Amino acid sequence: MKTTRRTHWAAGLVALAFTVAGCGGGGGGAKPSDVNPSGKIEPREISWLLSRPADGAVIKTMTKIADEYAKDHPGFKLKLITTPDRPSYIQKYETLAAANKLPELFDTDATPFARKLANQGRMMDATKLLQSLGMYDTYRKAALDYQRFDDGSLYMIPFEYQLEFFWYNKAHFKKAGIEVPKSLDDFPAMCTALRKAGVTPIALDGQDQWPLERYAAYQPFRTDGPSYVRDLKKNKAKFSDPAGQKAVNWLSALGKAGCFANGFSAVGYADAQNQFTSGKAAVYNIGTWELASLATTKLNPAVRGAIDFFTLPTTKGSATAANEFVSPSGIGMAVNAKTYDPLVRDFLKFALTKYPAAYAATGELSPTTNAKTAIPANATPLYERAVAAADEVGTELAMPWDTQLDPTTNTRLQRELVLLVQGDVSPSEFTSTMDATLGQNAPKYFQ
Amino acid sequence: MLPHRSKLSVAVFLLPPVLLYGAAVLLPIVQSLVLSFFSWDGITDMQFVGLSNYRHMLAGDSTFWTTFFNQLGYLAVCLTLQLGGGLAAASLLASLTRGREVLKVLYLLPAVISTLAIAFLFQRIYSMEPVGLLNGLLGAVGLDGLERPWLSDTDTALAAVSAPEGWRFVGLYTVILYAALLAVPREIEEAARLDGANQWQIFTRIRFPYIRPVWITTTIMATTYALRGFDIPYLLTNGGPGQASELITTYMYKTAFTSTDFGYASAMSVFIVIECLVAVSLILLVLRRKAV
Repeated sequence: MKTTRRTHWAAGLVALAFTVAGCGGGGGGAKPSDVNPSGKIEPREISWLLSRPADGAVIKTMTKIADEYAKDHPGFKLKLITTPDRPSYIQKYETLAAANKLPELFDTDATPFARKLANQGRMMDATKLLQSLGMYDTYRKAALDYQRFDDGSLYMIPFEYQLEFFWYNKAHFKKAGIEVPKSLDDFPAMCTALRKAGVTPIALDGQDQWPLERYAAYQPFRTDGPSYVRDLKKNKAKFSDPAGQKAVNWLSALGKAGCFANGFSAVGYADAQNQFTSGKAAVYNIGTWELASLATTKLNPAVRGAIDFFTLPTTKGSATAANEFVSPSGIGMAVNAKTYDPLVRDFLKFALTKYPAAYAATGELSPTTNAKTAIPANATPLYERAVAAADEVGTELAMPWDTQLDPTTNTRLQRELVLLVQGDVSPSEFTSTMDATLGQNAPKYFQ
Repeated sequence: MLPHRSKLSVAVFLLPPVLLYGAAVLLPIVQSLVLSFFSWDGITDMQFVGLSNYRHMLAGDSTFWTTFFNQLGYLAVCLTLQLGGGLAAASLLASLTRGREVLKVLYLLPAVISTLAIAFLFQRIYSMEPVGLLNGLLGAVGLDGLERPWLSDTDTALAAVSAPEGWRFVGLYTVILYAALLAVPREIEEAARLDGANQWQIFTRIRFPYIRPVWITTTIMATTYALRGFDIPYLLTNGGPGQASELITTYMYKTAFTSTDFGYASAMSVFIVIECLVAVSLILLVLRRKAV
């Protein structure tokens, strides 16, 4: 009797294992390169799983365009499923990918996870798709490059284009008797002077972790260019290498100089921005997606006139130019190969043709070169200058490390960076921890 | 009482909840157990790895043990606040003659506030720049030396994320224990007083033994909730700074949904189940043995 029961249990477990295993994998319905499928356009509801602000310009513009398309295609509807909080979105996206239930369109960065999906043929080839729609050449090179995997392949379509600047308060700089830093190496001295002037030197959203990780990327981008992180993520470069050490020691120096607010790791996005816009902090590193909040007449008059920006400073013997810095095109949109059909293609053709002009009319930078950004009526002159800088961007991109490293190393790095800047671990402890983590995890993702 | 109760009718009524429990609780546990023997990232083929996830968890992953000891610290703070605070508040309530209902409602209030609001509230309370309530109070009474960014200091982060969770449910346990205290017969206490017993003796010899069954239940509830605690630490510090406030639960979540290592995360979830079962067994063993 006992044996029979045990056998039943074992059989049950094995059956369950196969059931669970059945959830994984799964190929697409169309070949990733089959961008022009034959057949009739049959309107239906299609969904876009996305991670963008519900009241943001991308969603508003696409909703308007989808409504227009629906007028000529009764029965068509674009259902937007948005989860702006990125960690929550990633959980949802990965769970749906595991269950092979991703919708027609979904957002993703060029992460190692997305690479696996592409390898399985689950996303349409965006290069071929955009070329077949005659739109490939209208996109900014930098906007497409940001979405590419290391081998140059493209599976995501950008919907925005951003430039990340250091916004600063001229009045605070004057009070502290300092100029805009000419080199990244001038940052610690800048912070010391601003602290002496009674100002928080840099406002930082420590809670979301990626803003501090940006600082980790800056020194290696200047000393070695974009190759450092490309090698680092594959464990071909190390944190103990000269470029890595430059970053580690610089971050430690920033912490010692009191660059960030006391308790910065618990400061959220809105609070960090508020520290800067209320005049409590002197510098704020953020992208042009915040232009409407930073270059507007609605801003506190005492701060409004004092705000200016500078781009990522270079260093002595810098491998990259002053006009090369972080210029992301945001999270990209992938097209699910399994559900790709004439309707999806037709809608994308309609939407992507109309999108640039409609999006630029909202005051945003289009990922294409064929649309001029409309400057809002309540914008300060800074707005136009920031927009104009988009046309001056160089060819090399500073990639955000959180989209490059394997997720386990990235999580550990974000944790350890806080400790390094707070002085809880020494640069050498940080280096050995991170090199060990990288060595353990990178091979699982990049073979 | 049912006039013609039979085993069959009892089974018919019990079956739906048992099936529901099996589907909602037991099946996921078994699924996790199965998955813990595999390596799986959710999209590529699963690979059977035997006990290697458990070997890595118990012998190769120092972060896991850090999170385990953090979880014990979290448990200690939660139990102290919820059971210690709850019992103290319930005893005080029982001795009051007026205003009990108002106080009960006030104590219970945090239990009905959303987790997100609590996290937001405590972020403000603990803030250093700008100065939050706690640091403001410390400064006002001349204890400037104790001012610190409570959520960013590696020495205080764990206690800082545990306290809101403890505070949140103090009212719930207060009300449960207060109801138990009300059931203690007054005449026994009166008789003890006449025999010369002081308040402490009345509490330890009469009241506490009387409420012991309720105490066991509340201890089990508070312990298992604390061992599964997730939301407030995740929202307040996301486990940081470093791993100072990382719990097994938050680490498991990140392993599953950030690192997409579902097999290893399942091994951790099995550990949590075993941990809860061991904790409940210990509580029953210790408190029941004392009762004998």
